[in-house]
Amino acid sequence: MRQSISKRFIHFIGSLSNLNRLIMVIVGLLCLIGLLSVYSASLNMEGSFFQKVFGRQMIWLVIGSLIAAAIYFLQKKLIFDSAYIIYSIGFVFLLVPYFLGSSVAGTARWIPVGSMGIQPSEFMKILVMLAIARFVASTSYSNLDFKFVLIPALFSLIPMFVVLKQPDLGTSIIYFGLLFPMLYWSGARIFHLFIIIAPVISVITAFNFYSFFVWVIIVLLVLYLTKEKLWISLAVMLSNLALGLATPVLWNSLKPYQQQRISTLFNIEADPQGAGYQVIQSKIAIGSGGLFGKGIAHGTQTHLKFLPEQHTDFIFSVIGEEYGFIGVVVVLLLFLAFLILCLYIAYRQKDRFCSLCMVGVVSIIGIHVMINVAMTVGLMPVTGLPLPFISYGGSFLLTCFILLGLALNIGSDKQY
Amino acid sequence: MYISHNSVTNLRKNVMIAFFMLIFLILIGRLYYLQIIKGPSYKGIAEANRIRVVPIEAPRGIIYDRKGQIIADNESQYNIHVIPYEFKQTPLADSILSAILGLSSKQINARIRNNWRGQFVPVKIAEDVDFKIITTIEEHRLDLPGVIYSLEPVRAFPTIIRMSQSLGYVREIAPGDLRRSENQEYKQGDVIGWKGVERQYENVLKGNRGYNFIQVDALGREVGRLEDRSNIPPNPGNDMFLAVDLDLQIYAESLVEGYKAGIVVMDANSGEILSIVSKPDYPPGIFSGVVSNNIWNQLRSNPDLPMYNRATQGTYPPGSTFKIVAILTALETQAVDPEWSIVCHGQYRLGRRIFKCWEARGHGRMKMHDAIVHSCNVYFYNLIRRLDLNDWANMGKIFKFGAETGCDLYGESAGVMPDVNFLDRKYGENGWTDGNKLNLVIGQGDVLVTPIQMARFSAALATHGKLVRPHVGLKYIDRRTNQTIFFTSKTDSIRSISPPSWEFVETAMNDVVSSGTGRGARVKGVPVFGKTGTAQNPHGEAHAWFIGYMKEPDQTIAIAVLVEHGKSGGGIAAQVAGKIFNFIHQQTVMQTVANNASVNF
Repeated sequence: MRQSISKRFIHFIGSLSNLNRLIMVIVGLLCLIGLLSVYSASLNMEGSFFQKVFGRQMIWLVIGSLIAAAIYFLQKKLIFDSAYIIYSIGFVFLLVPYFLGSSVAGTARWIPVGSMGIQPSEFMKILVMLAIARFVASTSYSNLDFKFVLIPALFSLIPMFVVLKQPDLGTSIIYFGLLFPMLYWSGARIFHLFIIIAPVISVITAFNFYSFFVWVIIVLLVLYLTKEKLWISLAVMLSNLALGLATPVLWNSLKPYQQQRISTLFNIEADPQGAGYQVIQSKIAIGSGGLFGKGIAHGTQTHLKFLPEQHTDFIFSVIGEEYGFIGVVVVLLLFLAFLILCLYIAYRQKDRFCSLCMVGVVSIIGIHVMINVAMTVGLMPVTGLPLPFISYGGSFLLTCFILLGLALNIGSDKQY
Repeated sequence: MYISHNSVTNLRKNVMIAFFMLIFLILIGRLYYLQIIKGPSYKGIAEANRIRVVPIEAPRGIIYDRKGQIIADNESQYNIHVIPYEFKQTPLADSILSAILGLSSKQINARIRNNWRGQFVPVKIAEDVDFKIITTIEEHRLDLPGVIYSLEPVRAFPTIIRMSQSLGYVREIAPGDLRRSENQEYKQGDVIGWKGVERQYENVLKGNRGYNFIQVDALGREVGRLEDRSNIPPNPGNDMFLAVDLDLQIYAESLVEGYKAGIVVMDANSGEILSIVSKPDYPPGIFSGVVSNNIWNQLRSNPDLPMYNRATQGTYPPGSTFKIVAILTALETQAVDPEWSIVCHGQYRLGRRIFKCWEARGHGRMKMHDAIVHSCNVYFYNLIRRLDLNDWANMGKIFKFGAETGCDLYGESAGVMPDVNFLDRKYGENGWTDGNKLNLVIGQGDVLVTPIQMARFSAALATHGKLVRPHVGLKYIDRRTNQTIFFTSKTDSIRSISPPSWEFVETAMNDVVSSGTGRGARVKGVPVFGKTGTAQNPHGEAHAWFIGYMKEPDQTIAIAVLVEHGKSGGGIAAQVAGKIFNFIHQQTVMQTVANNASVNF
């Protein structure tokens, strides 16, 4: 039976479930808004159409859609079976930049390919997610077992430390962050999740006496409410207390350059002038957008090019300036709708692996959106995470489309 | 596909959805605050004003001498910057600016392009401009939007001191170092110490740049400070003190003007370098501010190597000064008795080769003491044939010849201290003869030393075995705590040499100066000890050496003087050492007089 391509396309669209069609509309809108913003941000750049970021962004979108379609047609069984193997391969690629010579700040994350670079740590986000999903779906440990939490934690912590060393705080937050929604979803005990996250919070709060004090009270409360065995509670309490008390001592015993290296994690991405300049400018751009914004390509702040990361990490400030409060709320609601739809699909899944993959997609996209927006509006330190489907950038955009393909695949309810 | 059952509870699904909703609500709330509540005020900033971040360069720490006289401080230089966005608003701006600066507008545009860091980041286009240019620019303020100037501190040297190679210089950081500076403490365009003290004590001297945040209007005029952002003041570097005595340094430099020479004068007990001279040199201020390629190339291609520190990097055969090593070997191994004597006829025959003494008529009968005083080569030819070459080499290694002294000047040479293994490797196991030994014992052939090693050797002889680490850095004042912090310095001691041997050498060295080859170094009223050396070399006249020390009641000064092609150690080298000793002695005398006078009042 021969059909024209357009007929096949219509047939394909018709075969999609309603939810999938909704997801595609949402993502399409986000990509369109992203394209317009990238166009604004790159208006004043020199070069021919396809040298400009706008032209390249269009190419990336086309490539991304094709890849998403390819993923859509993959068998779920194949994804499940290969999860560990591609995780291992991805991990090897994560180490490759270290062996390519120069340890130039920020370049340890790229593998050069032609005139561009591939960033293996981006794709690793998906692989960490798949490996965790496979482990949880096929493990014989019970949900109440600590090993059930520990091994997925290792899946995310090992690449996390590799990436931290690059140094890339943003990506490592994703590896660590996607762990919790997935484990929570799979029924892990909250107390076990608490044991994993508690040391991180202990270290962060230890720099201020009051915050640490409050944290200790919270720990005590949690321990009291969970009614664990006494010796376990004591061990958790004491180890966190010790960690918190040792942190300032350890910090002070570091040489100034070591301290600086750690604090560099928080500003290497977007603070080349060393003065928190970007965030001020980003706030001014967003704030000056007002309710309705200044209109497409009319953002004065956008056109003054004070933000080096304007078309990547700070794209949200362009949206804020040009489309105003209404525009950013629409974008945020689109993202929220996407996340909730995916969670709904995940909830409906009969198969645990599929359900967890869906939650993984939600986690990765969700954390990116939350951290990126929070950083752009000055609620969080600058960590350099782009905005999914909107920011310019090859590796990351492809990652998002792979995630989209996965989501559509799982959402399709096909039986193979 | 069915692996295991999805067991998520409704509760957990709803908690997750609620979590996302909560976070998104917070974000929307924040956006509401920024865009609706604070919107009008941000709109005002965005439309009428912009922020300009003006970096303020911090001066490096001042370098003082040991008495607190300034060796190097800072002066201000004017630089011109352009803010590309504002500059391009006025079509005539670049032609006006090019007329004022004397640069073509092509050059100006090229500099803007090459140093581009964003539309709103000032780009430096001219350095060290005349103050008149600044006033002209201010007159044309309205025609030149986005043209600003800055004051940048650069190194200045208020005295005629040279000490160029040891002080070093500062330059803009190289791209390679920038990438290597792991913690991003340097940024493109920062200056960094490249050589000498400036390099060694970079962490002490370096200042931290500050920033001013200024609101400017559409014409680039300042309208005020920024509310939610306070200025970051620049932090000057820490001031430091060198062990060097500025007066002595200038005097010592004047003594060897026109020669190629290296001098190290130091306190024998502490290793503090009172003066370090390497001639020829260059004015140290030459690298402040803009360095034209011309000056740079001239310095680099000069055949006399003015950028090369002869005192720490130059390796030379030590000549007869090295005979002391053979004496100590003989005394310690008891290979010969001090009373053992030979007769010098002015030459020594080894097989078919003849080795000459510098005194062609011969010295006659020589015992160990006289052999040092008169520096008789023939005595040492006889002596080395009775010594094991490795014993001799070990004695050299006890004084750490062949190894860097670990002084605080970058790029020191280690020299060469040959032993049997070394000769075997270089010439083959049977490829060398006693002839090589004869050369080595008088400090010729493969043995190579630096002046700073020789100064430390003198100090060890003076202190009977203290091996100091020579250093020019003395202390610095921490700007934050206002505390004075001394640089620590390690001292080793030699224990394997017995007191009688030290004393024997000391007596002989005293006689060298009072009645022997080193009479030029005599100073009235104070005991001086020394040994001269004349090192043959294939490039021309022999190099002249003098090493020794002067014992004042409360300090011992060790010295090493090397004058390239200075003909003989007893000549110029000893005289220079004598003048330096005398200078220090006079200073001490005057100090004593002054102290006593104040008691009388």
